Amino acid sequence: MNKVGFILKDYLVLLMILGLALVTAIIQPKFISPANLNNIMRQFGPLILVALGMTFVIVGGFIDLSVAGTINLVAVVTITLIDPLGQVGALVAGLVIGSICGAINAGLILTSGATTQAEALFITFGMSTVYSSLALIYSGGSTFHFWDLKEMPNMFEAIGAGSVGPLSVSFVIFLGALALLWIFHTKMAAGRAISLTGGNKTAARLSGVPIERSIVLIYTIAGFMAALGAIVLFSRVTTASPVIGAGFETNAILAVVVGGTTLKGGKGSVLRTVMGVLLVILLNNCLNLLGVSSYMQWAARGAILVFAIWLDNRKEVQGNQL
Amino acid sequence: MNNLYRLFTQQKAIVAIAVILLVMVAAGGDVSRIFFSSYNLLDMLNSSTILVILGLGVTLTVIAGGCDLSIGGILVVSGILSIQLQNFMPMPLALVLAVLFGTLVGFFNGFLVVQQKTEPFIITLGVGLLLTGVAQQLSDAHPVPANNPDFMNISNGYQFGDGQFTEGHFPGIPNLVIIMLICFVFFAWLIRYTSFGRNLYAIGGDYDVARYSGINVVANKWMTLVISGTMAALGGVLLSSKLNTGSAIYGDFTALVVNCGVVVGGTSFAGGVGGIWQSVLGLLLFGLLDNAMNVLNIPSWYQMMLKGTVIVAILWMDSYTQKRKRELV
Repeated sequence: MNKVGFILKDYLVLLMILGLALVTAIIQPKFISPANLNNIMRQFGPLILVALGMTFVIVGGFIDLSVAGTINLVAVVTITLIDPLGQVGALVAGLVIGSICGAINAGLILTSGATTQAEALFITFGMSTVYSSLALIYSGGSTFHFWDLKEMPNMFEAIGAGSVGPLSVSFVIFLGALALLWIFHTKMAAGRAISLTGGNKTAARLSGVPIERSIVLIYTIAGFMAALGAIVLFSRVTTASPVIGAGFETNAILAVVVGGTTLKGGKGSVLRTVMGVLLVILLNNCLNLLGVSSYMQWAARGAILVFAIWLDNRKEVQGNQL
Repeated sequence: MNNLYRLFTQQKAIVAIAVILLVMVAAGGDVSRIFFSSYNLLDMLNSSTILVILGLGVTLTVIAGGCDLSIGGILVVSGILSIQLQNFMPMPLALVLAVLFGTLVGFFNGFLVVQQKTEPFIITLGVGLLLTGVAQQLSDAHPVPANNPDFMNISNGYQFGDGQFTEGHFPGIPNLVIIMLICFVFFAWLIRYTSFGRNLYAIGGDYDVARYSGINVVANKWMTLVISGTMAALGGVLLSSKLNTGSAIYGDFTALVVNCGVVVGGTSFAGGVGGIWQSVLGLLLFGLLDNAMNVLNIPSWYQMMLKGTVIVAILWMDSYTQKRKRELV
């Protein structure tokens, strides 16, 4: 009986939002139309990539609020580099900038010796401000469009709107990233070390797990994935503004936590995050179709975040009692 | 050498304030004259008051080893409520209800953080997000204007003078400064001379030891979040009165800046150390920084970058000091 309750709690959020999807489908049959499902698949792109990176940070026992700033910076820098460097050059430059932003976060956290989520939260928040302001200074506050470029960037257009068979290109990118990160996390020593770091830092250090390497890895991966997300994002909307990434950090954290990765660190997987992102997107889609105002959607997201964290914590407390 | 290290790590705020003042003196000419004019100094104090009022409540939570990031959300919701409720009831009642809203949210935070033992940083961030959405819904994402001169006077009035800045004439003391001083004295007394205040240090220092020593840790820590919610709502009402509008946008940055300001002063996220006096200095530093950058005519995006850098530098130092302490033990 206790075990049934435990499993039920584990998947309560999933059941709740699946229920919501069912109700929406009944009230608003448009929900399961091919156009809407295609729309959902395309929304999957940017958020899932950012959330996959965030999964590693949270599994490692830290948190990263700087992804919004990283997305802003990468988006405006990449789009302006398309003319001078060519499309491939710009793509590589964007990914490198994202990784550097992540590495700077890791450097700050390592040198200061921060071990708690709270310290990481404030340091990365400060860095988010710095990256965002750099994006604003670099772009002069203006927005860049694809049609302002010398020639149409067809590679980025393909990333944003193209299809491979029935799947969109962004979905294929997501599948590739998911496969690589899943293998990295479950099959490779460096990936396993991240889970051990998050589980118990002292125990991990004493048993010879290189926690410094884990910290550098998690933040660099988060920065790289944020950059990839930024590229998919501005390719889809064909426009890059220096505030394009606002809200991504909370949505990514929400998706990771709702998926069931625990904020205490150590437990979680990228597959759970996929579930979490699917739920967040379904929720947005349901609320849109039901005609809920976008402000109330913010409030609903906050409420679900609070609820998911509370639930996560309850599981932890009960797990300790077992 | 050791003394110098201690000065830099423990009195970060004083060092930083001294650096800013030196820069302003060194700038010379018109810049210094404008910066050090009595009008500008009073204006600076006046515009930092709301941050300080928010920081007083947050200090208690940080000393007890917690944190409150929902204050930005409480600030905007109670600010909007204080104006919208005036349509239905007399002004004093509307203000009281708006402040009570903060108390209620604080109570809810306390339930989640203390009674249910969730991680305060993330959960209060979520509550703040929720409240920002509520504020946007309430105000329809537009500024809500107030049209009651009495309400506007609460924050913009002066005592002992008429608020006119002319040569050789005492302009009086702004109401906001007086309210801040009253709150400051109350909190300083609370934390220094009551058993509640002393218990907070014990709880922040070591939660379990405090519990075994017979302190009612749950009730005391819960109370800190209730107080900080109430102070945030008070700040929201005063801000609405000062600007004569309520809007959902003021809260975005406030929560993190106030929490950083508290840490800058020397109250550490590790809990158990700090005080009201230090927090006020830390928050005044942010007011001073804003004002100095405006007088120096620094463009707003560079201001944002400088502020972010200052936040990172100071929190880096806070963590680094903790690490040194751990290594010494």
